Amino acid sequence: MKTLNYIFFLIALSLGLITLVPVVALAQTNVTGAVNTSAAVTTGNTGASVNANSSITLTAAEKTAITRGNTEIDRRSAALTDLNTRIQAMQKVTDAFKQGISASITAEINTLASLKAKIDADVDLATLKADIQSITSSYRVFALVLPQGRIAAAADREVTIVSMMSTLGGKLQTRIQAAQQGGADVTAMVTALNDIAAKLQDAQTQAEAAVTVSASLTPDNGDATKMKSNTAALTQARADIKTGATDLAAARKDVTSIIAGLASVKTTASASSTTQVSQ
Amino acid sequence: MAKWIIGIIVVVLLGGALWYSGWLGNKSMMQPSTTPTSTAQTTQPQAVAQPENGMAATNDTSDAALTQDTAAIDAQMQGLNSDSANIDSSMSDKETAQSY
Repeated sequence: MKTLNYIFFLIALSLGLITLVPVVALAQTNVTGAVNTSAAVTTGNTGASVNANSSITLTAAEKTAITRGNTEIDRRSAALTDLNTRIQAMQKVTDAFKQGISASITAEINTLASLKAKIDADVDLATLKADIQSITSSYRVFALVLPQGRIAAAADREVTIVSMMSTLGGKLQTRIQAAQQGGADVTAMVTALNDIAAKLQDAQTQAEAAVTVSASLTPDNGDATKMKSNTAALTQARADIKTGATDLAAARKDVTSIIAGLASVKTTASASSTTQVSQ
Repeated sequence: MAKWIIGIIVVVLLGGALWYSGWLGNKSMMQPSTTPTSTAQTTQPQAVAQPENGMAATNDTSDAALTQDTAAIDAQMQGLNSDSANIDSSMSDKETAQSY
């Protein structure tokens, strides 16, 4: 029975490594395509660089509108910059993928910067009004790209942890086998080891599902039906990530119990040998 | 007998000429150089899987290695908590109301 458990663990580890590849490949294809949708934000001509607002008379309300617009643009730029930094730290994707998604985010940031500059330089009220309204219309892109990137980053993290725990699982297996050969009862530890394998497998599946359900979404552009389906998909992806995180937390507890078990075996063996020597 | 003496002289002169030109010297100096080359080839480091994210060596099953591995995993778990919180934040994001 124990042998079967070992075999099961090895198979699970193998499956984990095998499924790692499609997750990465999936992220490379789908997430890139989704983030490219940020190109939907347009700002028009941004050539004017002088402080043209001095040539028009702004009311207090208009000045407030500009301030609010710039605040919102700055907020989105900060969030995208932070996301870009996180994307660069992803580990289970290729450099080409990271560069691709980073370029898309950077393009969005540049677009926002251009919009802000244009608002500041607008020379007529009609254009200013249109530009400020475009802040709201472009929000639908931001509202999709940001969670998409965050979900991809979290999925990448989960796959990273699965890989690390798989490595640790192999070491624990070696130690358990050694303890067993020393005559220790390793039943509980083997059970925990099998649970680790199952939890890692599910975490891998959840991470893959999160990317699958979210990466190919496109901005709703105000379409209520699409907005609803996008929200549902992102909610599902978030649930997948949380389930994967729960799996990993459970696996981590199993690791703790196994290490404690190994320490107990060592203590018992040490105490036994000490008793024998003293007799 | 004279032919033999002349022959020996010719061989000696040829040998001296070759030695003087450096050809023989280079040949003799090239011999040792092959040994370090082959030695260097055999002592090149083998490709070893590098531990990821602060993990201990993959073949290290010591208690210290297990401690190091769990610490590395815990650091990533904390990162995952942050990632998860960022997802929540991004999905509950509200736009600053624009007015004009």
